[in-house]
Amino acid sequence: MNIQYLLKELYFRRRRTLTAVFSLAVGLTILITINALSMAYNEAARIPLKEIGANITVQRAGNVPENLTGPVFACSAVTIKNNEIKQIKQLPGIDGFALGLLLWVFDEDRFTIMLGIEGENPVGPGTLRTEIIDGFFFEKGKNQVLAEVSYAKTYDIHTGDQITIAGKTYMVSGIVDASRATKIAAANIYLDINDAQKLAEESRQVQAVSPFGTKDANILFIKANPRQIDPLTHSIKNILGDKASVATPASFLKSLGSLFALSDKFSLATSLIALIVTILIVLKTMAGNLAERANEIGVLKAVGWSNKNVVSQLTGESIIQCLMGGILGLILSFIAASLLGLIQVNIPIPWEMSPTPHFLPGGGDPVFKALQLPVTISWNLALFSIILSVIVGAVTSGLLSRHISQIKPSEVLRNE
Amino acid sequence: MNNILTASNLNKTFDNLQVVKDVSLTIKKGEFACLVGKSGSGKTTLLSILSGLEQPTSGEVTINGISITNSSENELALFRRRTTGFVFQSFNLIPTLSAWENVALPLFPIKMDREKRQARAMELLGQMEIDHRADHRPSKLSGGEKQRVAIARALVNHPEIIFADEPTGNLDSETGGAIMNILKHLHKKSAMSILMVSHDKELAASCDRIIQMKDGEVVS
Repeated sequence: MNIQYLLKELYFRRRRTLTAVFSLAVGLTILITINALSMAYNEAARIPLKEIGANITVQRAGNVPENLTGPVFACSAVTIKNNEIKQIKQLPGIDGFALGLLLWVFDEDRFTIMLGIEGENPVGPGTLRTEIIDGFFFEKGKNQVLAEVSYAKTYDIHTGDQITIAGKTYMVSGIVDASRATKIAAANIYLDINDAQKLAEESRQVQAVSPFGTKDANILFIKANPRQIDPLTHSIKNILGDKASVATPASFLKSLGSLFALSDKFSLATSLIALIVTILIVLKTMAGNLAERANEIGVLKAVGWSNKNVVSQLTGESIIQCLMGGILGLILSFIAASLLGLIQVNIPIPWEMSPTPHFLPGGGDPVFKALQLPVTISWNLALFSIILSVIVGAVTSGLLSRHISQIKPSEVLRNE
Repeated sequence: MNNILTASNLNKTFDNLQVVKDVSLTIKKGEFACLVGKSGSGKTTLLSILSGLEQPTSGEVTINGISITNSSENELALFRRRTTGFVFQSFNLIPTLSAWENVALPLFPIKMDREKRQARAMELLGQMEIDHRADHRPSKLSGGEKQRVAIARALVNHPEIIFADEPTGNLDSETGGAIMNILKHLHKKSAMSILMVSHDKELAASCDRIIQMKDGEVVS
């Protein structure tokens, strides 16, 4: 292959070169962008759970509380017994596990959503530790709680205040801004899981609807090996029965409703179509190139170039053109990705996962986790597209090499 | 052995049309022969067969004692690169390459320093008196200059025989005369064997020998 000849062909036959380069670039841009969008939606679907250091939450639906006084369970989160928790913990593929206990507390002067959490556990809402805007995280066994900032404003609560909820008095150790964190199991007051378990156990309303023991919970936060999520979901439902509600990135993805989010098959099919159309365009351009240069190929053979010499020269041209197309496609894809990254998506958080009483103002309103679509082009995808463009170049010239070998040098003389 | 080229009983048929009929001829080393005949007489097809660009339907061609009739495509390519040079009627220069690069074209598949390749091309362009046009592409050259570049390309690999197909066919008479003088000079200076196809009897008259073709046969 003669580089000097190759470069001159590409430079002086600009129209042909640009057609091939832009065809491939556009095809690759479509392919990369569709895949980046698909991955972005997948990533977006992971974020609500990722923000609480988990990728599975487990709840169980139950009956509506009969009497809304004191601590009660929302109907979407009733007791998960300790023995069930132990069974779930033993399932393969679980890397982290945290208990949660969500309570609605109806006091005479206010309604409060309380969430009992394992403060030291990196899985679950213990991650709120990083969202404290005043004071400090509660200390275990000291009757301390964190107040959510908007709740604190409403009731004029400050760090160090004593507050009484469900007849128990707690010291507010700090104010937390949970709005910046997840919308799952959002609460007004965060307290230690043990304190919440005592409240639930002592509540007649809770016990009447869903018997509760000291070590029980009503929300489980699980960090699982991503490949094990589906079998884990199946096993958890087997343990907890029909009323189990298991939220995973896949369930959030479904709720997004986008074509890109709905199906990996859609992305795969669209990518394949883009790829096939691209190869056909490049093939057509190269075939046109050969037809245009049949005489030139004949001359090369007449002056002593072998088929192998000619094929390697044209393959080199094809690969360089396609490589240029690949690089341009990658640049266009990065531009497209940064523009698509401006799109804001609202991920609906099911009411069941962050329940509020419907009869309260704003209760039952849809809750969304708003975020900018995290469109990024991974190094793997970038590398894949470059390799793909080289392969497209090699494959197209390979497909045409038989045609090249059939061009006879004598055609040059016959055409004169 | 005094013959550079020997053809025995050559026949060539396209579909059912016999274009070359039982042609036998020899070209002596250092001979300047001219193949003449009317359009459609089979001159160009015969030239293609004699030069190894095309295989005969039957018969044999030997150049320098080596039979090229049953050679593979790659063997023929190597043979053409080492033994023959071509001058075409339409010059057939590569439009994207400069004059010197066109001259060096047969050397591209050979492992050779660019400098050496360029030096050889420049030497030949100097002989053709167009070295000042070495960096120009064919579109910037006149017809005569293009044919000089084409002759230089035919000489670049030190061929033993040059095949020229109507080398003055696309040129005006004055330029054609100049090109003919170059070929005659080459023949005289280096005793180069040349087989030229022409329908111009005046040009043919200045060659060592005239081979007359009619209806696919050599008639004299």
